[in-house]
Amino acid sequence: MIILALSAIVGTTKLITPYLTDLAHRDDADRFQYLASHLLLTTGTPKNWGQLESIVPSSLGLAKCDTVQPYELDIDKVTRLNNENIYSLDYSKLWQALGVKDASFQIEIKPLFQLSIELVSDSTQGSQRVYEFKIAARKSGMPLSTNLNSYVILKDFVNETTSSTSPDGVTTVTIGIPNSLHGTALLLVFAQATVNSQMVSLGMYSFGHNSQSPLPNGTFTRLSTLDYVLNASLKYATIEVSKAQVFTFSYNFSLNAKTQDDQTVEYDIPRLLDASPMVIVLTGVNGSTSFTEFVPYPQVPLQIGPDFSESIAGSRIAVYRYTATINSALYEVVTKWGGLSDSV
Amino acid sequence: MFDRRGQIRIIESFLAIAVVFSAVLVSVTFPSAPDLSKQKSLASIATQALIKLDTNGTLGSLILKQLWTDIKTALEVLLPVGVSFNLTIYDGTGHVVNSEVIQNSNLLGQEAVSVQYVCSTRSQTIHFFVVRLQMAWMG
Repeated sequence: MIILALSAIVGTTKLITPYLTDLAHRDDADRFQYLASHLLLTTGTPKNWGQLESIVPSSLGLAKCDTVQPYELDIDKVTRLNNENIYSLDYSKLWQALGVKDASFQIEIKPLFQLSIELVSDSTQGSQRVYEFKIAARKSGMPLSTNLNSYVILKDFVNETTSSTSPDGVTTVTIGIPNSLHGTALLLVFAQATVNSQMVSLGMYSFGHNSQSPLPNGTFTRLSTLDYVLNASLKYATIEVSKAQVFTFSYNFSLNAKTQDDQTVEYDIPRLLDASPMVIVLTGVNGSTSFTEFVPYPQVPLQIGPDFSESIAGSRIAVYRYTATINSALYEVVTKWGGLSDSV
Repeated sequence: MFDRRGQIRIIESFLAIAVVFSAVLVSVTFPSAPDLSKQKSLASIATQALIKLDTNGTLGSLILKQLWTDIKTALEVLLPVGVSFNLTIYDGTGHVVNSEVIQNSNLLGQEAVSVQYVCSTRSQTIHFFVVRLQMAWMG
């Protein structure tokens, strides 16, 4: 009888425990959803913490100051989430600024659709080398009809080509570069969905023109943007910068140096109204090696926070997706929320 | 005498076991309150998508030009993968405006949420539309 009573108590406890735990976490989803909205709808403190490089916000919010549109994010607050930027904030500072001690979070910001670029062929035709690229626009595998504006940059040479993807989301872009040039060339492709001009995406492809394969982006300089100023930290004393340019879907301009010393050059970036990300391209030489390096502004795609894919099976993770506006262009923001991570 | 007592104890034990297990079965099958967090999240996504689609009056303009396929494509880009949707547009008098079905897959048999949004055109003559977006997680 005693054994029976004990086993009944143990069995009942085992069965009830998960339900009691479930009740304790019942409001987590609502709370996390509120936190995710709060993050994207408030400016944080101070309101302009994005532009102030030395400021760590005392409360976290990514919304643009004085905006009337919900889910419009500040270009600099977003850029400071990217750890490749010298002004970035690390996760522990962001977590402290959010001020919720029992929750960890991950923020991912990316374009609404993806562009893939593939070099199909290259051949010499007369005085130039002709490159053929296959460009595909897809949203999670679904083809998308887009208008494309492609730029090829090599030293002072810039070639602009407009085209559009067919209904299967694919097109071919052919570009010729004079054989008199040599060095690292960069193909920049801006894509705008035909159904909505605010849906834009960006693709970059570096290749060697009459030279060996290019070194990875960031080999010669570290490019960071903040408050419409480009900071170029030169990694070698022998580097000579020849040109800085900004590109958007519709425009491209050369930038004027604002300040310069042995290791750093700063450029003012114009405030363009184009619904497009900007890409700042810096060309130059280091000894006999020419380079073409770049940084997007806002500096996305980005991901910051603990990797929830390594979480213990069965642990609760809440995922909230939003569509946000940054400089009139639309981006997908994915926030993931969970219990306190060990990595904090 | 002892044998009969023993038999009664055994029967009593079996009865007790049966009572405990039936209690357990009842508690397991007892319906718990529904979890509405997924539905709330979906409703938030739907509202967001419509707000962003209507930036600068784009949605009203697409409706006025009767570009139903463009509206469907724009929603497919804005909404996450794995979501079924059906969009119905009504005019000020409550009549359905869209002459084609705007949906990516059938919502039948799925637990759907419905969100309503009012938009207008930015033309000289202003038209108002009520947009109803129904969405459900696939599978």
